[in-house]
Amino acid sequence: MKKYLLSFALAFVSLTAFAQANYDKIMTEKIAKIETCKTPEDFQTLANDFQRIGSKESTKWLPAYYAAFSYIQKGRTLMRDGKMQELDVIADQAEKHLSMAQNLAGADNAEIHLLRKMSYSLRMMVNPAQRYMTDGARAAEEMNAAEKLDPANPRVALIKAEDVYFTPEQYGGSKTKGLEMFKDAQAKFNAYKPKTALDPNWGKAEADYFLSMPAEKAK
Amino acid sequence: MKTQGQNILFLILLLISIMGYSQVKISGKVSFKNKGVAGVNVTLKETYDGTTTDAQGNFTFETSEKGTHVITFTHPKYENIERTVSIENQDISLNVDLKEQISEIDAVVVSAGSIEASDKKRATALLTPIDIYTTAGADGQISSALTYLPGVQKVGGTEGLFIRGGTGTESKIFMDGSLINNYFSNSVPGIAGRDQFNTSLFKGNIFSSGGYSALYGQALSGALMLESVDLPDETSYNFGISPIFLSAGFQKLGDNKNYSYGATAGYSLLSLMQKVFKFNTDFVEAPQGLNGDLNFRFKTKSGGFFKYYGMFNSNKMGVKSESLEPGYDFSLVKLNGKNTFHNLSFKQKFGKYLLNVGGSYSYNRSDLHFSTETNDIESNRSQLLTDGNYLNFKAVLERKINRISAVRGGIELNNTDENLNFEAVQKHYKDLISSAFMETDLGFSNALSAKIGVRAEHSSFLGKNNIAPRFAIAYRLAKDWTTSLAYGLFYQNPESKYINGPANLDFQKSQHYIFQVQRASEGRTLRFEAFYKKYDQLIKTFNVTPDKEQNQQIQTALNNDGYGYAKGVEFFWRDNKKTFENIDYWISYSYLDSKRDFLNYPVSLQPSFAAQHTLSAVAKRFIPEWKLGVNLSYTYAKGRPYYDIASTFDNGKAINYTRNEGRLKDYNALNFSINYLPNIGKKDARSFPVFVLSVSNILGSKNVYGYNFSADGSRSSAIVPPVNTFVFIGAFISFGVDKTDDAINNNL
Repeated sequence: MKKYLLSFALAFVSLTAFAQANYDKIMTEKIAKIETCKTPEDFQTLANDFQRIGSKESTKWLPAYYAAFSYIQKGRTLMRDGKMQELDVIADQAEKHLSMAQNLAGADNAEIHLLRKMSYSLRMMVNPAQRYMTDGARAAEEMNAAEKLDPANPRVALIKAEDVYFTPEQYGGSKTKGLEMFKDAQAKFNAYKPKTALDPNWGKAEADYFLSMPAEKAK
Repeated sequence: MKTQGQNILFLILLLISIMGYSQVKISGKVSFKNKGVAGVNVTLKETYDGTTTDAQGNFTFETSEKGTHVITFTHPKYENIERTVSIENQDISLNVDLKEQISEIDAVVVSAGSIEASDKKRATALLTPIDIYTTAGADGQISSALTYLPGVQKVGGTEGLFIRGGTGTESKIFMDGSLINNYFSNSVPGIAGRDQFNTSLFKGNIFSSGGYSALYGQALSGALMLESVDLPDETSYNFGISPIFLSAGFQKLGDNKNYSYGATAGYSLLSLMQKVFKFNTDFVEAPQGLNGDLNFRFKTKSGGFFKYYGMFNSNKMGVKSESLEPGYDFSLVKLNGKNTFHNLSFKQKFGKYLLNVGGSYSYNRSDLHFSTETNDIESNRSQLLTDGNYLNFKAVLERKINRISAVRGGIELNNTDENLNFEAVQKHYKDLISSAFMETDLGFSNALSAKIGVRAEHSSFLGKNNIAPRFAIAYRLAKDWTTSLAYGLFYQNPESKYINGPANLDFQKSQHYIFQVQRASEGRTLRFEAFYKKYDQLIKTFNVTPDKEQNQQIQTALNNDGYGYAKGVEFFWRDNKKTFENIDYWISYSYLDSKRDFLNYPVSLQPSFAAQHTLSAVAKRFIPEWKLGVNLSYTYAKGRPYYDIASTFDNGKAINYTRNEGRLKDYNALNFSINYLPNIGKKDARSFPVFVLSVSNILGSKNVYGYNFSADGSRSSAIVPPVNTFVFIGAFISFGVDKTDDAINNNL
């Protein structure tokens, strides 16, 4: 009897452990996909995957976070193709998931504030002239919040660097200044240790990419 | 026994694990209106299992779950769908039809007759303040910039928006819903008044050249709805300097960003430019003006928002021109105008209801002195003094029904009290127009929506009522293509300046039919509009013998027997930096066929303010390396007709007849302007100057706006612009807030 009880207990433990492992496994697998996604469709699929995980794991903030991130990446690919009209719908989706993530993770999560910043930036691109004062200002606010909460966060440094890099020199941005900032971001990435294996850890490749560009191209 | 038992247990375990891992395939197709939908999230609820549909709407995934489960299909543009499935050992095939989710972003909007410059309709967004400032030839004035859109005519000698064969007074301008009674400054005959309102005061506008909402009335042909800015983003100070004006102002934002206040003041004087340029007009007193405005805005704790704007403007000028009357050398007219406008509005949401209340008061005084000069001796002056007090009140309550439908209704009161003094003549005109209106937006689907409204008015002066129904429908033909249709009945009181004697008058009436096809895609807009407008009950007038010393006719209303029509087609194309890098350009063309028998017209004629063909083009290029914006605009209008109409009396009956008529030469103007923003993006900069150089009518075309005739019709003189080619230079500097951001972001 004792034996049976023990094996039953063991089986139970292994069962829950199995579920846990399954969450970790599937999240690790999906997070790895972030780097391989290229098209808006890829990112939509990924967003859906995270959404699916999130609806099962309704107490965990990371699936919602990654769903939002996938939407933002989708928006950024569309933006690069000049398809600004869809950005509002995408930002809506991203913000929906960000609210969920924030409810679970608390208001003082720098990673979430940073994604909010990115989402507002997408909204601003729909009509920069008119939205600079609203969405542009909100983006700046979120960026400040993120930086204040986690000054060492390499992703905050990365997005700041990108902003400067892509702003024409006449408007106060500069490629050289941007590259300096990418170096700073890279240093922060090297020093950064995510809290868990699943916590946000994206962006290093992006910093590396900018820094690896030939000097002429970066000009 | 023991081993057998172990074997059985093993077998059972094996079976369980096999069953547990046996995968069932679930596949199918998700469609909307028989077309596959990509990107739909297919989820086996409470599991990680699921997938996303491919480009054809197909999906397939495997699961090891068993029993009764729910599969959800989600996509932001469609309603969520759930399907219960029982998973046994067989594969499951499942086809699903989605239902469209009605949303504000995707819903088609009625746009017949209107061009909206708000953030929501970015595809057709036009004429934001930056658009206006960077339109060459617009002088930063909203009303001038509108002449580069289809349907609006450049008339020249008179202020006002001349829309689709309508007179300048047939269009009305509203600020936050309240009527602006004196949008333009006072003027002397032949020289158009200017916009009295600062363009940067407004964050957006809806310009309607017909078929507009029941919320607006007393405008037979068009309406311009201006939306004032909310709280500023930062405290700022600014000033502007040029050879013809000086201005300064500030905006202070409260620490909690819940209130702001500000004021500006300006002074303008043209005399310096008179020395440099050859003016057509002989200003014996150079136009000068003094103006100021102040504003406050605050948010209440409960979410209400108050906005106040008040302004004062005074302007003066004196014009001398060769007299057309025998025995006199010159005729002179001197103007002293004063104007004040105050607008207070309040807006609050109460659950599903939105309340919008606003009131405005304006006072306008025009003091004109007419005299003649013979052998350097000026005659006695005769004074024409008009002053008016105008009160406007409007309350609108709106209730949202679902995402895209709403009902709104309200009332409007419009009180006019005018005095006119001319020699022995004293006129006192009073009118209270009370209106009630109701309108509903009906969104049937994202592809079909309608607007149905009705407006009723009572005029105390006329002692009459009217009921005006309005209707519009919009349908999306394909992804970027929409079509809309609008119909409306519009009423307007006869202008008080024609009411100089007893007459039994009624509302003037017009009916609009508008058909539009529009293609709006990323950065490009193509519009085609056809319209038919029918006028009825226009007032007929006869000429009162004018004073010999001034050649302005005085007309007095007789009855409402006038009628007319205007029909035409319009074309508009805008390409915002899509085809040519950094170049934003638009082209509009209007064809207008109009005839009317109104005022003193003896028969039905093409109105003197209606050009048959109007073409305009605007191009803007920003050159980041030079921090320079270069703008060009061009306008062509086919020559309009002009008439010299006189009245005689036959057995006490007034008979109008044409003494002279003809056609003006075609109108042409090429304008050019550049903006230089040297401190763009300099992070340590404390001031943000914008230098402007603009040259209007750079080719020096000698345009003519019309002709004046002597009292007996034997002599005439052309009405021409005060100056053929004008050069403006100016600097606008702001501190505190980087105004150049606007320029930057508009050009990124």
